[in-house]
Amino acid sequence: MMSVRSANREDGPVKVSGAAAYAADHHPDGLAYGYLLTSTVARGTLLAMDTAAAERAPGVIAVYTPFNPLDVRPFLKEGGAELAAPLQDTRIRYHGQAVGLVVAETFEQARDAAALVTARYDADRPRASFADGLAGAEPPATGAPAQEVLADGVASIDEALAASDVTITATYTTPAETHVAMEPHATVASWTGGRLTIHTATQGVRLAVERLSEALAMDPADIRVINPYVGGGFGNKWATWAHTPLTAAAARVLGRPVKTVLTREQVFTVVGHRPLTSQTVSLGASADGTLVAVRNDGVSSRSASNSFYEAVADLSLSMYDAPNLHASRKVVTLDVPVTTIMRAPSESNGSFALESAMDELADALGMDPLDLRRKNDSSRHPVSGLPWSSKHLDECYTLGAERFGWSRRGRVPGAVADGDWLVGMGMGTATFGAFRSEASINVRLRDDGRVVVSGTAADLGTGQSTVFAILAADVLGIPVERVIPDLGDSATPPAVSAGGSGSTSGNGPAVRLAAQAARDALVKLAAEHEKSPFHGQEVTYAGGEVGDGGRAMPFGELLALLGLPDLDATATSPRNASQSHAFRSFGAHFCEVRVNRWTGEPRVTRWLSVVDAGTIVNAKAARSQIVGGVVMGIGQALLEDLRIEPGTGRFGNATMADYLVPVNADIPPIEVEFLNYPDTLLSDLGARGIGELSIVGAAGAVANAVHNATGRRVRDLPITLDKLL
Amino acid sequence: MRAFDFAAPHDVAGALDLAGGSSAFLAGGTTLVDLMKLEVMTPEQVIDINRLPLRGVRQEPDGLRFGALERMEDAARHPDVAGRYPVISQALLLSASPQLRNMASLGGNLLQRTRCGYFRDVTTPCNKRAPGSGCPALHGDNRGHAVLGTSDSCVATHPSDLAVALVALDASVRLRGADGERTVPLADFYLRPGDTPHQENVLRLGELVTEIVVPDLPWAANSAYVKVRDRQSYEFALASAAVAVDLRDGRVRDARVAVGGVGTVPWRLPAVEAALRAGESHEAAAALAAEGARPLAGNAFKVTLAQRAILRALAELAERR
Repeated sequence: MMSVRSANREDGPVKVSGAAAYAADHHPDGLAYGYLLTSTVARGTLLAMDTAAAERAPGVIAVYTPFNPLDVRPFLKEGGAELAAPLQDTRIRYHGQAVGLVVAETFEQARDAAALVTARYDADRPRASFADGLAGAEPPATGAPAQEVLADGVASIDEALAASDVTITATYTTPAETHVAMEPHATVASWTGGRLTIHTATQGVRLAVERLSEALAMDPADIRVINPYVGGGFGNKWATWAHTPLTAAAARVLGRPVKTVLTREQVFTVVGHRPLTSQTVSLGASADGTLVAVRNDGVSSRSASNSFYEAVADLSLSMYDAPNLHASRKVVTLDVPVTTIMRAPSESNGSFALESAMDELADALGMDPLDLRRKNDSSRHPVSGLPWSSKHLDECYTLGAERFGWSRRGRVPGAVADGDWLVGMGMGTATFGAFRSEASINVRLRDDGRVVVSGTAADLGTGQSTVFAILAADVLGIPVERVIPDLGDSATPPAVSAGGSGSTSGNGPAVRLAAQAARDALVKLAAEHEKSPFHGQEVTYAGGEVGDGGRAMPFGELLALLGLPDLDATATSPRNASQSHAFRSFGAHFCEVRVNRWTGEPRVTRWLSVVDAGTIVNAKAARSQIVGGVVMGIGQALLEDLRIEPGTGRFGNATMADYLVPVNADIPPIEVEFLNYPDTLLSDLGARGIGELSIVGAAGAVANAVHNATGRRVRDLPITLDKLL
Repeated sequence: MRAFDFAAPHDVAGALDLAGGSSAFLAGGTTLVDLMKLEVMTPEQVIDINRLPLRGVRQEPDGLRFGALERMEDAARHPDVAGRYPVISQALLLSASPQLRNMASLGGNLLQRTRCGYFRDVTTPCNKRAPGSGCPALHGDNRGHAVLGTSDSCVATHPSDLAVALVALDASVRLRGADGERTVPLADFYLRPGDTPHQENVLRLGELVTEIVVPDLPWAANSAYVKVRDRQSYEFALASAAVAVDLRDGRVRDARVAVGGVGTVPWRLPAVEAALRAGESHEAAAALAAEGARPLAGNAFKVTLAQRAILRALAELAERR
């Protein structure tokens, strides 16, 4: 096993000093400022907009509306957003939809003018209640409506459940949530001739190029997207949203650069949110705790504007061993802003239900919930039957239980108190799918002795750029400080965008291949270049130097000597096409929750996560990733709830003051332990991915601890104090 | 934010001369600037009063006097406040965040506007912001709204923690205006919404809060502020209780009780106090806090929560003896 590095972020100094230029920090000459107008009804038709006062307001350059539109075409692919192009029709599909763009000389002028625009609507009553829609939920337009595995001789999942010694059935619901990344979405567009350069907050510059080429009817080769720094994404910067093509189109017709930054309130509606879900879970087991049947009927909300929904029940098919499995998918269509991917889509909500249900089953069996999970740990994927590539979940359980003091958990709920606080322990299993996508990376050795590693990858604050630096430095045998990662530029080789926790698993092997290729090219150059001191010799490379057994020379010196500013190589790491194994990461969360016996507030007071995610490239940043997922999971469990007003379809708490995410005081010290077993069947590097893993199972662990503390089983997130009074 | 005129007078008389019409006094700015950005408040003139000599905490014959411009954090840390009126200190320290408390003034805290989401969103109706336009909170998103002192026009919660503690302690505010100076008990200062939710207090046009006076109450040293909210910090109360108890030989001789987060104004509970004085159990006394409550679809739990907050405060104070 390779030793685990723990490196500071290479981009830490520029970020904390404010020198890192995020999308909105670009101010090209002649910049004008855009400000979006948004709808104030959720469904209907825009009859008229009065823009006269805004057009006369100081500094205003143009006001675009559906009655004076910009030329923006529909995307050809939703990509997590919506196909309808903004301002191209008068239909209102959700509250907070982009219905105009004011462009002015300054941001303040654009904002003030926007306040002068009035709109008239013919409004219909929106479909805005998920609960009301459940009875009429329909199979989704995309994806299988159900998946089922039955043991030989079993006629139906219900038959398997009926034949079980012990069964439990319960329904679990989760609210809409939203990402509220620190950096609001922003786009700065500049045109030079027919070519577009754009700085836009995105999880993948390649994705933005594709969508913009569709929206602006352009050759992708004429679009360059540059976005090396991203202030958090969590899925919400995967898609390209209305303000981006609008800003680019405005800059094109106005002949000057335009910048549009969404307001905090607009970040709740113009970009997407996580759908609401409902899962009815039935578990059947024999008296000794062996699972016989798992059934999960999942329902997700879906925006009328797009097709994205959470296949929330599917996780129940990949987790615990059972001979009979059934998961179904249905959707409830709502007239709300776009539903989109959010950290561990489907799986984090799916795990809340499954992990809660496992504890409910353990209660019914009179078993320790950890013992129940161990008993049903799967050695193969429960549906495909393929063996796991590398699974050490049992070690996560064992190590975690020991480190956390699981044996001190009260067997009877409500049995442990500390003063006015009821104390409980809970646990949940984490898991997330792993894959290796194709990725190309360029490594350039420079005559100053430094190395540039380039690819279109994104670092959302995850530490991806430091992973590039570490892996290249390791291959080249040089200090990590000499590597300059160059991410987020569509002009560089096509690497993996930041999604699905697939950055390190895909880009990591490519960085190593490219560094090896650059090293090989250097050795060849040293041996073959006529002016090389090693000309005609058997050349070797070690520790940043080329040599022939006698002399050695740093590569920068050699390049300088030969009059070459740099030497580069590009390599492509292919997609993992293995059909012989199933790939997933795993982990176990353990937490302690305290609930006030007077006023019911639940507070998480201890946390341990033990993580089996393959090779960990940078322990320091990896720990932060796991901690971040746990923090988000605590928020999901206790706080996050984007409330839809049933009558209006408006989000009732669409501000950062009212949409609650945890603050420091809500978060206890979080311990993270990595097992660090390389998954060599996935790649030589053996890294699987950790961006989403740790939010999975977190909310279930909290719910289970609340139950252990109070005896109350809350099946409806978030677990707020009013449910515990 | 709309353009506005700006002035920064050096004394109270200068500030009062400028005030009137569409002017707003600016102290810490933590509410006003926020609401100006949201276009909820659109003053034509902003009068910065931070140069006025209205700071400090000092003992006077009529009680402890706070300058209206004293910053929340400074007031909370003042030894006379922390030692003699823990309920005030705690109410302040459980408010906002250190950054905000370092900026926000006591006078501004008492005058802060409701956090009702409809009040703060100018694209929606709101009787408080636009009289007669309606109240969507009655049937909308109302988990944070009031259950006490509401009307069919408005159910917005008064957001201040400090005001709850001060109302419990019979504090007064001193006001200066063009017509001179007057002192108003804080309990009479705030107006319930009724049919005129836009009228939130008795402050006259151009009148300035200059001081807060808290009368002596020796047993207020045995007081506490319990604030209950979804997250542990940086959030307004779902329910809070300001409680002071005069305990002798384990018996309640006197008590002050007010609740926050549940009323359209800071809500004093004389019936609860009387029951405690009469020797009723904590539970029986706290139950009287629910009198007159009008819960909405999303906030019925507040009726129970307010009682629990009182019980928790009483338990804390009893334990401390």
